[in-house]
Amino acid sequence: MAPVPPSGRAGALAGQRPDSPLCPRPNGSKGPRSASADARLDTLLSDLGSHLQRGNRIPEPLPRLSTGLGEIDRLLQGGFPLGRLCEVSGSTSSGRTSLALSLLAHTTQSGECAAVIDLPDAFDPPSAAAIGVDLDRVLWVRPASWSETLRAAERLLDTEGFPLILLDLARSSSLPERIPALLLARRAASSRTALVLLSAERMAGSQAEIALEMKPAQAHFTGSPSVLEELETHAVVVRHRSAPDELTARVRLATRARSAA
Amino acid sequence: MRTACLLVPDLPLRAELRTHPEWETRPLVVTSGTDSRALVIAASSTVRAAGVRPPCSLTHARAVYPNLFVRATSLDADQAARNALLDAALSCSPRALLAPLAAGSFLGEAAVFVDATGVRSLFHSEEGFAAALGARAARLGLPCIVTIASSRAIAHLVARASAARGGPSREGDVLVLPPDREREFLAPLSLDLLDPDDRLAQKLTRFGVHRIRDLLALPRRSLAQRMGPEALQLVARASGRETEPPIPAPEAAKTEESIDLDTPVDRIEALLFVLRGALSRILERLEVRGLACHALDLALILEGGATDERRIGVAAPTRDPRVLLRLLALSLEERPPEAPIDRLSLATEGIPLRGDQLDLFRPRGPDPAALDETLAELQSLCGADRVGSPQVADDHRPDAYAMKAFRLRAASPPHSDHAAARERVPASSAVRALRPPVAAQVRVERGHPAWIRSAVAQGEVVHAAGPWRTTGRWWSREERFAIDHYDVQVSDGTVIRLGFDYMCRRWHIDAIYD
Repeated sequence: MAPVPPSGRAGALAGQRPDSPLCPRPNGSKGPRSASADARLDTLLSDLGSHLQRGNRIPEPLPRLSTGLGEIDRLLQGGFPLGRLCEVSGSTSSGRTSLALSLLAHTTQSGECAAVIDLPDAFDPPSAAAIGVDLDRVLWVRPASWSETLRAAERLLDTEGFPLILLDLARSSSLPERIPALLLARRAASSRTALVLLSAERMAGSQAEIALEMKPAQAHFTGSPSVLEELETHAVVVRHRSAPDELTARVRLATRARSAA
Repeated sequence: MRTACLLVPDLPLRAELRTHPEWETRPLVVTSGTDSRALVIAASSTVRAAGVRPPCSLTHARAVYPNLFVRATSLDADQAARNALLDAALSCSPRALLAPLAAGSFLGEAAVFVDATGVRSLFHSEEGFAAALGARAARLGLPCIVTIASSRAIAHLVARASAARGGPSREGDVLVLPPDREREFLAPLSLDLLDPDDRLAQKLTRFGVHRIRDLLALPRRSLAQRMGPEALQLVARASGRETEPPIPAPEAAKTEESIDLDTPVDRIEALLFVLRGALSRILERLEVRGLACHALDLALILEGGATDERRIGVAAPTRDPRVLLRLLALSLEERPPEAPIDRLSLATEGIPLRGDQLDLFRPRGPDPAALDETLAELQSLCGADRVGSPQVADDHRPDAYAMKAFRLRAASPPHSDHAAARERVPASSAVRALRPPVAAQVRVERGHPAWIRSAVAQGEVVHAAGPWRTTGRWWSREERFAIDHYDVQVSDGTVIRLGFDYMCRRWHIDAIYD
């Protein structure tokens, strides 16, 4: 049987024979064998059970957590999806922490609880409060090693009720070469939690539903005396399972002095 | 005022059976001590049927029934059983009072007086009220006799009379005495039920006064002259005319269960087995009163006299034994006792368990019971001071923060214009804290940093803003600080918060803009 193309992705028909009944013809018409092929496919699917679906069925959209940044939300088609592993990577001063805390602020202000597993112990409560994070709804876990981090993540994923878990792995020297991304992705799916990895480089590979890369930010100083006014960065979608990738958005992040004004 | 009396005639026996229900079928007796002059103060029905009538000497009891299972009374277990009886009473009426400890022939007795005024509106009748009291007490392992009369003294007398006839049955006994039948009921009862002191009892016996009707028939003036004021008090109790203050509503007290261990326990598994029983008894008492546990206080008395006290908090009030036992286990595993345990006490302050009116459109949050276990495991894994909710500390020092216990808050409705408000506020940048701050070498030109070398940033200073000076705690030599802060962009692309510490005269980086 010819392979069924993945849903929602146009043009992914590499390897299809030109005369395959599943390969669309330029004029949109079906070939003479397509009707009998459809009937055989239907018979096969009914034999295999109802858990198989034809590729042309549209899956239900996943609920998403808005980041509170309009540009990023448009890039991600609404935000980070619940029940999926996503990652935000970037170098130091790329804006990834600001994006993560903005997501945290929007989630907690909606009345939800969230957890931050902070391996590098870099979470700054005053900075988070200034962005709008409701600190009372945040569970801050500060493990000392990678094994504690993984165990804490598993435990929190097993405790349903945290729609967002931020797993901060940036700038940490105790990380293994490979992380158990498949395990984390499955746990996130079963608990319907948006598990967002924060790291210097991509670590989740193909297990990430979305991989967002933040480019080094440009700092803008203005005024006399000089004041750091904002950071300007670019976010690039390097992987998106259910949407086009390689899209970018410009994000401007004001510092506290300006946002307070 | 109508008063109910809950009477347990063999409290020491019931206290032992609450702790060890498997001894129900044994020929159990409870003695007042462990020496040779100890008295048997309570005996199981099997032993009493054989002819052993407490109080009596242990020697006599063994002569009548050779293969006795003997236990010395435990003050802690007795007190816990008394308090459980009070809990059963308070589950039906807001005003209840423990009777003073009895002595003499009624050494093993425990009684609680309950205000029975106005109970018909809730229990349909006094009989229904009494039956409910008896059922609640039986549920806590204390089958009792329940009587209702016009005063505490009469209710107590009637209960003792019922006990003397062989009560209570396993299901408990109930007797409601109407006011117009009290005198008739009390008349033929023995004066021994009033428990007079020995001297007065001998005098009354010498004068042939054996029944209550005989006592009430005597002229008061002559009685007082010949027997003293104690005799008048006896008459007042027998006729229900003793001055009795109203039964108070007791203040909230801890629900506590204590256990004296026969042999010291040095393994956590064995300790948890004992704790499971104490916890189940506490939860039964809370459930009867509609209360829940929001924190457990565990006190372990160790060999050698040292004490290990710990408080285990709960995220939300619960009566789930599985959750509470797990929290106890995690606490003991995290910090094991330093010596074997001789005695332990487990207590909690019950608080009302109120249902939460959920809303279809509000987020529910994690389940409180599951959250408690998760928090306890995380604290055991990472450390108690590294798991919690962050707080901004009221302090001018850099990186001033605190952590508090994570607690579920009542879900608040999301702001209706939240999304629109977020769009209007410009997106803000955040910093990543460096704990501890990273040392930096800085070359200064014309009073401003020009070149930086450190583990997180290295290069020429492209832009710098500042300094902003922060000082504080000048009154303390150890804690005073004075720091000049700069916001700096370095040529390697890093945007950092640089500081010069005047106390140690060194540069450091305490945060990175990210």
